[in-house]
Formats: sequence, structure tokens, C-alpha cells
Amino acid sequence: MVKDGEILVFADFNLYSKDAVFKCLYWFGDKFHTGVSFIDSNTYCISLRPLSIANVNSDDLELYLQKLERDLIDYQLRDTIARETQNIRDLLVAKAFSNGEFDEDPPGDVSDPVGFNPNLASV
Amino acid sequence: MLLKTRGISLNIRDHLVGKVTRDPLKIDADSFLICESGLPPMTVNNFLGVLTSSDDSGQFQDLPTVFGVPTFEHLAEGDIVVVSNDGIINTFYRVDSFHNTILATERCNSNCLMCSQPPRDKNDIPRLYDIYQRAIPLIPKDCFELGVSGGEPTLMGELFFSLLETLKENLPETEIHVLTNGRSFAWNAMAERLAEINFDRLMLGIPLYADYYQIHDYIVQAKNAFNQTMLGLHNLARYNQRVEIRVVLHKQSIPRLVKLSKYIFKNLPFAEHVTFMGLEYIGYTPHNIDKLWIDPHDYIEELGESVEFLAGQGMNVSIYNTQLCVLPERLWQYSRKSISDWKNSYLPECERCSKLDDCGGLFTWNLKKHSNHIKAFI
Amino acid sequence: MIESTVDRKTRKFRELNFYDQQEENQYFLLPFRFHRLNDAKEVLVNEVGDHLVASAGTVQLLVSKQLSKIEYPELYGDLIANFFISEEQIPPLIDLYATRYRTKKSFLDGFTSLHIFVISLRCEHTCHYCQVSRVTQDKGTFDMSLEHIDKGIDLMMRSPSQFLTMEFQGGEALLAFDNIVYAVTRAKELAPAFGKEINYVICTNLALINEEMLGFCKENSILISSSLDGPSYVHNQNRHRPEKNSYEMTVKGIELSREILGKDRVSALMTTSNLSLEYPVEIVEEYYNQGFRSIFLRPISPYGFAVKNERKNKYETEKFLSFYKKAFARILEYNFSGEFFSEDYATIILRKILTPFPVGYVDLNSPTGAITNVIVFNYDGSVYASDESRMLAEMKDYTFKLGHLDTHSYEEIFYGEQAQKIVQVGTNESLPGCSDCAFQSYCGADPIHNYATQGDMIGYRPTSSFCHKNMEIIRYLIELMDSDKNIEQIFQSWVKQRT
Repeated sequence: MVKDGEILVFADFNLYSKDAVFKCLYWFGDKFHTGVSFIDSNTYCISLRPLSIANVNSDDLELYLQKLERDLIDYQLRDTIARETQNIRDLLVAKAFSNGEFDEDPPGDVSDPVGFNPNLASV
Repeated sequence: MLLKTRGISLNIRDHLVGKVTRDPLKIDADSFLICESGLPPMTVNNFLGVLTSSDDSGQFQDLPTVFGVPTFEHLAEGDIVVVSNDGIINTFYRVDSFHNTILATERCNSNCLMCSQPPRDKNDIPRLYDIYQRAIPLIPKDCFELGVSGGEPTLMGELFFSLLETLKENLPETEIHVLTNGRSFAWNAMAERLAEINFDRLMLGIPLYADYYQIHDYIVQAKNAFNQTMLGLHNLARYNQRVEIRVVLHKQSIPRLVKLSKYIFKNLPFAEHVTFMGLEYIGYTPHNIDKLWIDPHDYIEELGESVEFLAGQGMNVSIYNTQLCVLPERLWQYSRKSISDWKNSYLPECERCSKLDDCGGLFTWNLKKHSNHIKAFI
Repeated sequence: MIESTVDRKTRKFRELNFYDQQEENQYFLLPFRFHRLNDAKEVLVNEVGDHLVASAGTVQLLVSKQLSKIEYPELYGDLIANFFISEEQIPPLIDLYATRYRTKKSFLDGFTSLHIFVISLRCEHTCHYCQVSRVTQDKGTFDMSLEHIDKGIDLMMRSPSQFLTMEFQGGEALLAFDNIVYAVTRAKELAPAFGKEINYVICTNLALINEEMLGFCKENSILISSSLDGPSYVHNQNRHRPEKNSYEMTVKGIELSREILGKDRVSALMTTSNLSLEYPVEIVEEYYNQGFRSIFLRPISPYGFAVKNERKNKYETEKFLSFYKKAFARILEYNFSGEFFSEDYATIILRKILTPFPVGYVDLNSPTGAITNVIVFNYDGSVYASDESRMLAEMKDYTFKLGHLDTHSYEEIFYGEQAQKIVQVGTNESLPGCSDCAFQSYCGADPIHNYATQGDMIGYRPTSSFCHKNMEIIRYLIELMDSDKNIEQIFQSWVKQRT
């Protein structure tokens, strides 16, 4: 909501991680005083108050509210992606800076009905 | 064009490999003497054997012979043949052709919907390998290019590498073009072994039909084929082996063709050549034609975009098996006369075409399945 | 003898769904970042810079694991093929992906390749935005000594890179031409022993160029990089000469250089002042009319004389972006009418977007190009991490001075504490704001710019002009390509590298 020239958003702690909230608020710091606190054990109160030097139009506050809500969702998505893909990312970079020592085995088998097997071939 | 004929054999165990000559004075232990009309006037004991149209088998007690052969008109002086004890005379090498290919094996670990040489699950490798070890030293040293195909040649295992070594040793001036699905090279040791041969006149032609694994695997009818082929290509690149990517154009490969071309540029920029090939109406293709057929005229947009994208990034691109009248003029520069002479034909319509000499024509068996838009240039 | 395990069933043809390897409709996310392009579209970018433009809401659907292969077969195929998702925890082609990542970062292999020698600080122009803090002509003490040239060349030969670039800057480099001759001659002598191949470049305003100098350049395949700010009314206003004829001298110099060296050995760079911002189209057309087929649209840096003349030079990034887009539109017009004309900054970014190859442009790298790509030997023997670092020193800020040719070794300069500190914060993968940015692979880090404009090397993205400019240019380029296939094809022609 927009109240007294300030933007306030209440977000459920179980839906939005701390990382997501802070990363999102980072980008508003050029125009707003950003604040985060807990209303109760489950709810953040996120506030944006325009900086006096920033020339934020009071008509635009609704638009910034919309942007904040949208960005919170986006940063939560990024948080999910980062958590789920952390291991693969580390593995990828480790392999990139290796010389093939960590290469995986090929998937499946060579599926020759007559039984050629490159693993057993005397190469 | 005939590549095989048959008569009745005598004194032949398994098979014999040799050149052919019609000159009874050119005595050579590596050559068969062809006697088209009756028996020769002088002794022939120092030839490898005799091939004759005569029905009379009486004269040659010990000499390997095939008699009662209906015709020799397809055989030129110096051609190399394989003569089996069942009387079959297979032409292995034709001196007048630019399109000679060694069939490494009929075994294959894929089963492509459009396979032009359907596989047979019989282990023919020991026999064929033995034939080639004998035949390759007979190939003229000025042979420009020789293909190695199948089935899947790498299923020969160590014999595959021996075969290549034999080729390298015997044909120092010849370009060797191996057709393989590349899957075996996903096992790095295979790629490493290939690199040990140090064969810079070798190029591997490897097909890729989609950027998305499920479609490629479906087309080649083998699970994990896409992933194995891609890993194989990368292992080959690790050892700087020369590769060519081949894409057959049909209803299953056209929808993602442009995406495939971008995939090739991004993931396989080291490919020496990329070729887009028209469908051959033989082998499994007629059986699967409903899944495969699309008139080339109808995929020109996708083909053009793919070719021009890759060429625009400096890759070497060709279009095979597609007629000039079906292609827009801006793509003519990529079109090659790629069809082997022995299976190359033209339609009656083509006789009056002004571009007949520049155009690659059709596969003989495509005379009954071709674009509806073939029209002579006047 | 191999047993024949013939099974007639294996040769039966199967349908497409037989080859589906997905289990229980599940898929795993692979690392990627995303950004809203506009209200209707978002762009996803993977770890090697492949991008995918999709309709808004796609990422949400994707991350909540509700993207069905049946409902979105085309998109699903795109996501698998381009390493956005995988049907297995470890994607089967991960080693291939790793090779692509390694390729993208392989600009690091050669380490420092660009070696800038500030051969003289003397200059006879008085460009109001001059970043170089020029000193007028008669002060002989502002030339690089022969001894320092020798030491600089010795350090240059220590670079692991086989291919080196030796670039002479000033002041006005031609004022010390004899020293350039000395430097090139010595470097050429030493190169074979070190296995180096060296490209030489002279940055000059061309006012003093003559046939004799060009003869030497031709003999040694030296490239000329001149300055052309636009048509005469822009150029002369920016670049002040007592005779008010900088433009005329430049054009004459370019003509003469082309005649002797060949057209492709002469390039021009522009700098954008407040005045320039009013003439985007005219500047592009001037370049075209002078026979150039590319232009580098770059904003002024906040260093040297530029900062001192704040009134003339201070402008917001928005104004630059507006200028950039108008100039860019004119450039596209040339391309639509069949002519090749590219913009260099866009081309660098587009190479990262459209090709798998490494791009090592100093100002747009992660890790930063300072030290890892470029080093500067000043006229007085001091060594700096980059061109901008030296300019800060001219304003008495020595934060990025790495040492001195008389007192520091190669190891102390290139691998010392100062160097390590700079490069450590010069990696955008771990900078606040950058670590989640969709354009990370296309952008870079510039700790020196951050320090100069914001007070610390890490920088603050929301007010960073570097970030603002790059994010908008990258977003703009992606949006253009997505909106018009012809533009995508034009961009493809710009990034082509092989012949």
C-alpha cells in the first residue's frame, strides 16, 4: 500500500527469503530509504520512503509499489534457481577449469545388437 | 549400373581379391583374366584366376575360375573385384569412378528411419576385414578419394583402426571419408586411439538431425544416440580430428532445422563442413515415407535460412541431392553434384534443361519419388 | 568369435514418445538468470551467454516445475537443447557445456596482451574534455626515456601471450616519433627470441603526420588510430587548436595515411561531448562519408580534463543513451539499404550474445581487463593497471599505480597485492547487483570506474553509470533482435569473424 507518502509491503516470511528481499531492495536505494523489519514472526514489513534529493513524484508511488511487488517475486524466483542450481554451477566451473580429468562416463551403451562394447575393446 | 555379377565357381575357397584385365599378355598374380568369348589361346596359369562367359569348365583343373558369367561390360581394365566361392563377383573398386566406397560392415547400432543401407545383425566383420586387407594394396595410388561406410564402421573395434592404418600406409595421396554415427567416440579411448594414427587426410562425416535429443533419437531409432554423438564429436575435437556434420532433410528434421544450424554453430564451430542432404528413396525410406516425405520445394525457406546463417558465420556449407530448379538462385552456390555416378539419373524433363551439366540430378531410385516442382530451365 | 545376439524386436520402428527420457514429468533447473525485457517479454540467459526470449511468466512457470513437454513441446525442446533445464540431475552433456564455458573465458589464456606506452605527454591541441592532462609542447621532460622504453619492452616480453599489441599514446604520440621508431625497432629485434608476434598501433590526432612517418609505419605494419569526433563544427569545437583547423588536419591526415598504408590500416575513434550529443545522425554520416564502415560510439570518461570542465562535460547517461539510439537508428538505415556499417560497442556485446567465442574487450570483461588484458607504462616510468588508472594519477590519485619500471619486478607489478585486490573485485559474478543480473555474461566489471565515480572499487549498481549504460544497451539490442528478424541478420553479419 501507499500511505503518507511511503510505500509499505507486507510479505510472508515463509514465501520470501531474506536474500530475495535484500537483493530486491538493493535496487531501490538510489531513490528511497529502504527498511525491513518483522511485524510478527511470520511477516516482514518492507518500507520505501522517497529520498528528499531523489525527486520522486507522489503520483508515481503507485507505480513503484507495483514494481516492488513484481520485483520481490522475481528475486524470490532467482533465489530458488540459485539454490537449486548451486551444485551444478560449481561442478560446471570445476570441469571448465579441468583438463578432462573429471569427465563423466557416456550415457547409455553403444546398443550394438551383435555386442560391440567400446569399454572392452582393446584400444 | 551393375556392381555385381555371378557365375559358377571352381577351385575357389572363401574368396579371392584381384584386379581384372582383358589382356592375356598382362600376366599378373594379382589379376583375374577376363575371357569374354571362349578360352584364351595361351596359358593362363600365372594369373590369379579366370573369369569367363564360357560354359565349358573342363580346361582348368586347379586354377580358380568362374564360368558362365552373363556379362563383363561393367568392368573396366584395372577394376578390383572380390570373387567368392558362391560364384558372385563383387566390384570392389572402379578405376573410372570418383565415388569408390568400402563397405566396412552391415552391422549398425542405430536404425535410422531413412537408412539407405539397412543393417544386418550378422557379424560380417572378420570376412570383410580380410578382403580389404588384400584389396587395399591393389588400389591405384592416384585414387583421389575413398569412402568408408556401412552400417557403422566403428563397430569393427580395433580392426577399424587397423583398416585406417592400412589405408594411410597404402594410399598416401588419398582423402579418406568415413561415414559414422560418431557414437563410439563418446568413449574417449576410441577418440584417443584414432588420434594416434595421426591421419590428416581422414575426415569423419557424422549425422546430426536435431538440436533436441528426443527428435534425433527418434529419427535414428536409438536411445542416447544424440548425447553419445555430441560427446563423440567433442572428444574428436579434443584431438583435432576433422569432422563434417551431415543433416538429412525430411519431415522430422525440417521443423527444428534453423535451430539445429544455430546449435551446430554454437556447439560444433570446429566442424570443417556442414552438408544438408535431400532424402534418398531407398532402404527403409519407402517403408517410412509417410513420416518422412516433404516436397523439397516446401522446405526451401528453412533450408535457405539455415544454410545462409552458417555460411554467414564463415562455415563451409553444401547442399547435396537437390536439383537446381527446386532451389532458389541464391542457394545455387552451395549445391554440389554429390550423387555417386552409379546411382545418378535425370528425368526426361531434364533432357532439355540448360543447366543439365551444372545440376546434380537425382538418385536413380528417386525417379519415382521427387519434388513436384522439377522443371527444365530453357 | 562374437556371438550373434540377434533380436528381431530391436529393429522394429518405435514412435517419438519411446525416446522420451523424462521420468514422471520432472525436470531439473540448470543455472540461468533472467530479466524482464518489457511488459510482454522476458529474456533468459544461461551460464555461457545463450539467450532465449519468452513471453512474460515463462520463468515463473518453469521454476515452479509446471512447464509440460506436452503443452509446450517447442519451448521445452529449446530449454533442453540450450542448457536451461535437464531431465537428469547432472545433464548428460555437462562436459560439453563445461567446454563452452572454458571457451568463453579463454580470453584469459594470454593474460596481458595490450601494452600501452605513453610515449609523450606533449600535445598541441587543447581539447576541453582531454583525459590526458596534456602539457604544452616545449617541455621536453615529458617524453618517455629510452631507458624506460627498454624496461617496458622487457616486461612486455614476459607476458604469457604469444600475440602482443604495443600501443603508443600521448599527449600527441607523433611529437616523440623518434622514440617510437626506437621502441618499435627494439621490440621487433627481441620478438623472435621470445616467440612473440607484435601488432603496433599509434594513437594520434594526425596533425603532424607526414610521408616519412607513414613510410616507417608501412614497413612495420603499424596501425593508425586517429580521432574524428564528427563533422567539422563538432570536431573543431571539441578539439581546440590555435588555428581552429583540427578537423581539416585530421581528414587530410586520414587521407594521406590511407594512401600509404591502405584503408584497413587506418581507424578512427570518437569521443562524445555535450555538443556531440546534439548531432547523432550527423556524426554517423560523417564517418560514412569519410569512408569508414564502422564507428565506436562511446561516452566520455570522468577523468582528466573531462572532470575539470564539468560544465562542458557532465551529462547524464540518459542523454547519452538517447544519442546512442538515434545514431544507432541511422546506422541500421545504412544496413537496411544493403550497406555494411557496424557500431563497435554493440558488436562487442553481440559477439558475446551470438557466438560461442571468447571476447576480450578491456572495458567489458569479467574478470576486469585491467592488468589481465592491459597494462600502461607512463612517460615517467610508472606502471598503471589501465588507461583510466593513469588519468586518475594525473589528478593526484595513485590508487591504481602498480609500481615503477625502475623499482618493481614483473611479479610485483602483475601479481602483487595491489593487482590481486583490483582483479578480485573486478569479477561481476560476485558483485552486488551483478551476481543475479541476466546480462552478466555480456557485461563486465570496472573497479577503476567505480572508484573514480563512486568512491570504492565494488561500486553501487543503482547509481552506476557503467551499469545503467550497459544494461540499457544490452536490453535494447536484445529487444531489437527479437522484434525484427532482419535486424538479427544484420547483427549476425556484424559478428562474423572468419573469412
